[in-house]
Amino acid sequence: MSGSITHCAEVAPPAELTVDCCVVGSGSGGATAAWELAKAGREVLVLEEGGDFTGPKLTGRDGAMYDQLYMDRGGRTTSDLSISVLQGRVLGGGGVINACDVVPISDAVARHWQKKYGLTDFGPEQLEPFRARALEDLSANTPDESQLNRNNRLLRQGAEALGWKGEVMLHNRVGCVGSATCLIGCGFDAKRNPRFVAIPGALAAGARFFTRARVTRIDDAGQELKRLTVRRLDAKGYHEGDAFTVKARTVILAANAIASAQLLLRSGLGNEHVGRHLSLQPQLPVTVRFDDEVRFFRGIPQAYAVTEFEQHEHPEHGWWGFRIEAIAGTPGIVGSLLPELGAPGLERMRDYGKLAASLLLLPDAPQGRVRVEPSGRLRIDYALDEEQKGRFRDAVRAAARAYFAAGAKEIYVPTVPPLRLSSEAELPKVDSLTFAPATAPFLSAHQQGTVRFSPGEKDGGAAPDGRVYGTKGVYVFDSSGFPSSASSHTMAPIITVSRMLTQRLLAG
Amino acid sequence: MTLRPFGAISRRGVLKLALGAGGVVAGGVGGVFALRGSAPTVEGLAVLSAHEYRTMAALASAAFPDGTLPAGSPSLDLARAFDTYLADEPRWAQDEAKQALFLLELGPLVFERRLATFSHLSPAERVAHFEGWARSSSELRRQVATGFRKFLCLLFYDQPAAWTLFGYPGPMISGGAP
Repeated sequence: MSGSITHCAEVAPPAELTVDCCVVGSGSGGATAAWELAKAGREVLVLEEGGDFTGPKLTGRDGAMYDQLYMDRGGRTTSDLSISVLQGRVLGGGGVINACDVVPISDAVARHWQKKYGLTDFGPEQLEPFRARALEDLSANTPDESQLNRNNRLLRQGAEALGWKGEVMLHNRVGCVGSATCLIGCGFDAKRNPRFVAIPGALAAGARFFTRARVTRIDDAGQELKRLTVRRLDAKGYHEGDAFTVKARTVILAANAIASAQLLLRSGLGNEHVGRHLSLQPQLPVTVRFDDEVRFFRGIPQAYAVTEFEQHEHPEHGWWGFRIEAIAGTPGIVGSLLPELGAPGLERMRDYGKLAASLLLLPDAPQGRVRVEPSGRLRIDYALDEEQKGRFRDAVRAAARAYFAAGAKEIYVPTVPPLRLSSEAELPKVDSLTFAPATAPFLSAHQQGTVRFSPGEKDGGAAPDGRVYGTKGVYVFDSSGFPSSASSHTMAPIITVSRMLTQRLLAG
Repeated sequence: MTLRPFGAISRRGVLKLALGAGGVVAGGVGGVFALRGSAPTVEGLAVLSAHEYRTMAALASAAFPDGTLPAGSPSLDLARAFDTYLADEPRWAQDEAKQALFLLELGPLVFERRLATFSHLSPAERVAHFEGWARSSSELRRQVATGFRKFLCLLFYDQPAAWTLFGYPGPMISGGAP
């Protein structure tokens, strides 16, 4: 039996339908769960708020693509506007708009989860077959030397000159043409993401997908049949239309750590841990000017990472320290991250072809919180603490040293006011970075932990099998359950954990 | 990115800021409105008033004055683009954007004690005043500046006419060179 994709903006679903399993979210967690469930013969309906974008519909233009592929039209932020929270809203989820980096959960992190959080069933041995299968799903491979653009090679050159460790990360591109628009979707369909692997697999096994379908509430969570209120959205996903009802025996939330918690909170489900323990894994971009052309706007944007400063066995946090990863951006996003408006910003943009760039990526403690205000509005609270600010300053110094070793003329930290460094002798200037709210363009691409897995209800929002405490048959199979940062790139970890939990659900 | 620029701004926050700046707004509302003057009618606005449109246009034209783009480039009305964007936003987001524009318009009066409003400053003064917001000790003013800057820059640098200024060949999917 073959499944289907119904675009609810165009075709009205029945006012009420009953299914065995309803999956909320079609990204790495949701699509993987849907695939496994459908293969096992379960009747599966997947509800996705975003639209279906593949091929030339992914135009490579910032304005339209951030508007259509990201939650809140690309405008989601923490409540103090300090951190842009990048969350996919499209069939296939975050895999459609990520940089294709594949970094599995390390054994050390798995052991940390066992030891600190009591997740005895998440050990390296239990995870291993699912990690391997995730790599297979993603066609994980190492970019060859010819695919590394100058932006990535310059960072590597600097790191090697200083004797630092680094790696070319695995990625899930096949047939990449080097368009470098990964963060706003690949118009050449060269990403082996859920849209091209798990979703076709689930469809072939009979799963149904509804796009432009926003779940606004779950009721009867303690009953055999849970009742989901779903709103159709218009073609661009801006406005809610008619409601319809889905009744399901099993509900799997896989809408990302923000939206899964938001839905539970809106529905009054779960315990006091729901929404807490949010990890945003904040990232700070820095740009670097060279004398000659870098052309970071072509080729693979994010392939090389300096790993010298990361630890995997920090006793308190598991994965810790920081990474420096090369990155590139299209003009709209680069321009919007620069702190200067008008002529000074334009002067900076005139160097666009000579710029290199990196993201300074920090694992964090689960210190943030998702709330839903009485008005129904989402609120994401997260404050950088002094320890993180210090680590960010360390990361800026390290990135500057690497780039100066590679011949950079100027390091530019896009804070307000911007910090410019023209030699290593100026590194003490980094001490002036305060990172006060709304003075630095922090990003979060890997939200985790708002319904964390725990063997006891007093320490987490969901049991180790993913079941949300206080419910019967409502599960979280996404990064909401991760008790600490799983990895620098969460796509592979989410696929790993979702498949493991789905198979345990089917076996149970 | 960050097209929804004012997610952090509450009505209470805006009023608190204005009142905290010496009660200029609360103490002289009539005078403030007189100083602001009238704004030309703008056809077809969905959300913004003529005054709000004028403030946004004043900011946009100061940031990217006429002549920034190569001659013959299609014109881009960033203030109208903002209005179009807001039309599909939730009501709270529209309200916060309007409050932010109101506060920005009164900025020179409230924060610099000048008998002028933002739209009546010279382009250089507008940029300087806006920079003052970006570097302000007030978190709310910084947030407003961040929101407007990101919106304007994303739209400006996303247009093909701007790409010629810095050598971007355009996205490959649309025919840009490898």
